[in-house]
Amino acid sequence: MSLAKVFREHPERRYIMFGGKGGLGKTTFSAATGYWLAKQGKRVLVFSVDPQASLSDIFQRDIFGKGAVEIMPNLYAQEIDADQHIREYQEEIRQKIRDMYGFEEIPDEIESYIQAASAEPAMEESAIFDQVVDIVVAGEFDYYIYDLVPLGHALYYLSMASVYDQWISKITKLREEMREYEQMAARVSRKKELQEDKILEELQDIRYRISTSSSILTDREKTAFFFVLVPEEMVLIDTQKAAKLFAKYDVPLSGYIVNRVIPPEVALSEHAPAYLRNRYEMQQKYLQEIDNLFGDEVLARVQEMERDITGLEMIERMAQIMFGEEALE
Amino acid sequence: MALVVLIVAIAIVVIGYKFYAAAIDRNIVQANPKKATPAVMYNDGVDFMPASGSVLFGYQFKSIAALGPIVGPIVAVQWGWLPAFLWLMLGVFFIGWVQDYAAAMMAMRNEGLTMGGLAYKFISPRARGILLTFLYFYLLLIMGAFGAVVAGLLANPVVPIGLLILTLAGVLAGQMTYRWKMDLVMTTIITVLIALVGIWLGTTGPAQNIVKAINGLAGTGDKHILYQTPYGPMTWPVFFWGIVALAFCYLGSVLAIWRFAQPVNYVSFWFVALGLIGSVLGVAIAAIFGTTDVAFHIPAFVTWNQPKLGWLWPMLFVTISCGAISGWHSLVSTAGTARQLEKETDALPVGAGAMFTEAILATLAVIFAATAIAKPDGSVIYDANNMYFLKVKAGAVWMYGMSRFLSWIPGISPAMGGAIGAIFLAVMALTVMQLVLRFMRVASAELVGDKIPAFKNPHVGTIVAILFTFLILWTAFWQRIWVLFGGANQLFAGLALLLITIWLANEGKKYAWAFWPAVFMYITTVAALLVVAWKSFQAMTKPDIGAAFAFGNAVAGLIGLFLAITAIVLAYDGLKSLSKARQKAAAQAGD
Amino acid sequence: MTEKEKRSFLTKMLHSIQDVIYGMASHDMARQALKTRGSMEHLFILITMGDLLGVPILPPYYSLRLLPYVVPQISTWKRRMLRERDLTDALA
Repeated sequence: MSLAKVFREHPERRYIMFGGKGGLGKTTFSAATGYWLAKQGKRVLVFSVDPQASLSDIFQRDIFGKGAVEIMPNLYAQEIDADQHIREYQEEIRQKIRDMYGFEEIPDEIESYIQAASAEPAMEESAIFDQVVDIVVAGEFDYYIYDLVPLGHALYYLSMASVYDQWISKITKLREEMREYEQMAARVSRKKELQEDKILEELQDIRYRISTSSSILTDREKTAFFFVLVPEEMVLIDTQKAAKLFAKYDVPLSGYIVNRVIPPEVALSEHAPAYLRNRYEMQQKYLQEIDNLFGDEVLARVQEMERDITGLEMIERMAQIMFGEEALE
Repeated sequence: MALVVLIVAIAIVVIGYKFYAAAIDRNIVQANPKKATPAVMYNDGVDFMPASGSVLFGYQFKSIAALGPIVGPIVAVQWGWLPAFLWLMLGVFFIGWVQDYAAAMMAMRNEGLTMGGLAYKFISPRARGILLTFLYFYLLLIMGAFGAVVAGLLANPVVPIGLLILTLAGVLAGQMTYRWKMDLVMTTIITVLIALVGIWLGTTGPAQNIVKAINGLAGTGDKHILYQTPYGPMTWPVFFWGIVALAFCYLGSVLAIWRFAQPVNYVSFWFVALGLIGSVLGVAIAAIFGTTDVAFHIPAFVTWNQPKLGWLWPMLFVTISCGAISGWHSLVSTAGTARQLEKETDALPVGAGAMFTEAILATLAVIFAATAIAKPDGSVIYDANNMYFLKVKAGAVWMYGMSRFLSWIPGISPAMGGAIGAIFLAVMALTVMQLVLRFMRVASAELVGDKIPAFKNPHVGTIVAILFTFLILWTAFWQRIWVLFGGANQLFAGLALLLITIWLANEGKKYAWAFWPAVFMYITTVAALLVVAWKSFQAMTKPDIGAAFAFGNAVAGLIGLFLAITAIVLAYDGLKSLSKARQKAAAQAGD
Repeated sequence: MTEKEKRSFLTKMLHSIQDVIYGMASHDMARQALKTRGSMEHLFILITMGDLLGVPILPPYYSLRLLPYVVPQISTWKRRMLRERDLTDALA
């Protein structure tokens, strides 16, 4: 099974994710996959939710907090600026309060609440979460490639979705019960018109967004999740652990990509130093183990490159390695 | 004569409202329509919610008018109708409205505090605790007094089945409005019709036979005597139906309020309203087509010393508990109305207006009682040969009276009229009893729940309150319970007036108009309670009485004594606070 | 009094009578239902805006989104949470 085949056989898998420990090349793979898909004529968005995102570096353009930026025809990239998003969001809330109640200024108590809520550590997480939902729900692209933060965060992100969902279900129920009592009172005092419960509407919307987003993440039909790993012992152990956890959250795994494989023609050449040869042999041992463990779920082996992957040219080379020469034209 | 009395009453009430009450509202309390009330300021959708003046007038009137204005006068005419009428008029003019109105005003000007919080603030920290304990026993006496009336009514074979069906119609009404979400008008029409048909069914032969069979369960006939008391027998039917009445209240106390208490009260309300409209209609038809006997059979004045009940002063004043003045109203004014008034100026028409209207209702009851001397079958109601002693239960007087008017309407038989009258009175009593029992449950959880955790269970609190009520019912002499309840009720009014006085003094306002009524109520009711306690203890020592009777009288006597003592302690603390408030006001005036 | 004034006086009278009847018959029922609803509202604010009491319960991002709708209730809610309750409040 090859990576290109997975994409060809499953065109319905529109949400693509590369996961794995930090620094293994997830961003590189995201960019290269985006490049390859764009070349196939698909509209693709590569986006990052990592505050220390490196999409700007890889595409050699400053796209941080600028929305979806066109990199080349059909390929867009976006880096979410959580701080900026939170600031805009706060202002939106303030404006709404001013409009609803005709306030000139936000009452102190309310303002200090807004400040306090924004200082919460969970604020950034949930702001990013919501922005991702925005992007995904808008549905403007054929493919969405998530450049996920390292593994722990990805899991946190997933668990947050289910916790939010349960939580919102609970308060929605409370709100609906309140509505019942309000209707009781209205029936008894024979008032015909009841104001709509704006809060209930908001809650239902929030709930819709969360469940849409989390259902995408866990939908085998629509989602392709690839694990990135390198042939090293620690990484292998961590990957196995992570795979178990992902299974627990029902995240469907599409396969594994092995990165930083030392090409044999380099390691086995006569001029190669003993150090490199030793490393190569070690890698061979773990590559064997990876094949034993994951079998044909290993979709690609990507060789160690001689330089950083930045700029479209290098991305193109990477795409060729990942998807094979023929696919590009 | 009846018409003259009614016109005089209306004139006095109008003068009292328009001149005395309005002047105090304007000049002393200075109600300000622009001042934000707690209902508006704190509108939290739970404790504080504003409502319009006319809605609150209806609310207040319904909450204060229960058995008091009806039963009190029926008992009180045993001293003669004139003393009863005079006390009603003087009481409402100088005391009754003052309490209802000023209690609402005081609560509004103190952030919507209720009686407990006000006692804490204006008298002393311990005053709050004493007041709450007092309140518990006072409410217990309401249970006893009203329960005795209901038990007597239910013992009549035409009553229980009708009341049962009315209750079921009420439960159905709750289901229809809250679960099936049906239109309220539709629900009302259907359930009230079911209730009326049910009451008719209750008067039919088979239904009566069922009740008669139950009444005969204990053996010898349907008036089996369980034990004798010096005031008459305790019969099995009264004993049994007393238990049924309390079981009804038990449901009202422990079930979700919208399941039982509320919808049953709702259907009851419409039934009572229809009963009143029907009676007026009956009187009108009688006036046009027939002759009604409206001559007063009871003399204007009978005696200074009613042999069974005691001296005119203080006993008459506590016998007519509502209508002239009632402590219950201060609870409604503070906890209910003051937290809903949207304008300070609404307190006058709501608080004072509802009270003056109630005085008219009580006057009607005096007329009712004074014109009734014997039942149609000739049996005696008030015994002219025996100082006009009331030989039947007050409920019977009312039943007979209402039946007399209702049966003028074509299609309503005297039996049906009697059943309507009886159930009318029973549901009025049960409405209040459910609320009281529910509150006693909450109160016992709060007062002793920490020391005895069992009381935190709603069933335990309710059952204990019910057992206490039984003890009182066992005395078998309902008129004694009635005056004991009246005494506690009026004394609570005295407490409310004392609080009002201290509040006024703190504000540097004139307070004589509340102070002297407080003094009068205090002296009268403490005296009355001591008399009742004395009479109860005396009754206990009589030879050849049942143990239950002796025990019941002991309980009644102890409660009377206890209430009198707590009231004196509260007065002591209260007067200290009053003199402090006066000094403060004098110091401020000196600045 | 003109015809028009008379009519408006009559409608006003009718309204007052309606109000009084409503006050006697069903005001208490409506009030109880609203009370229940109101205390649930306060529970709702507690769990959504718990930060005001220092208890974060809702993801803050979403609690901010609901904030505009509960602005009017916040001060009465705080007041009610902090107010000492008295037993006699439970009557009526």
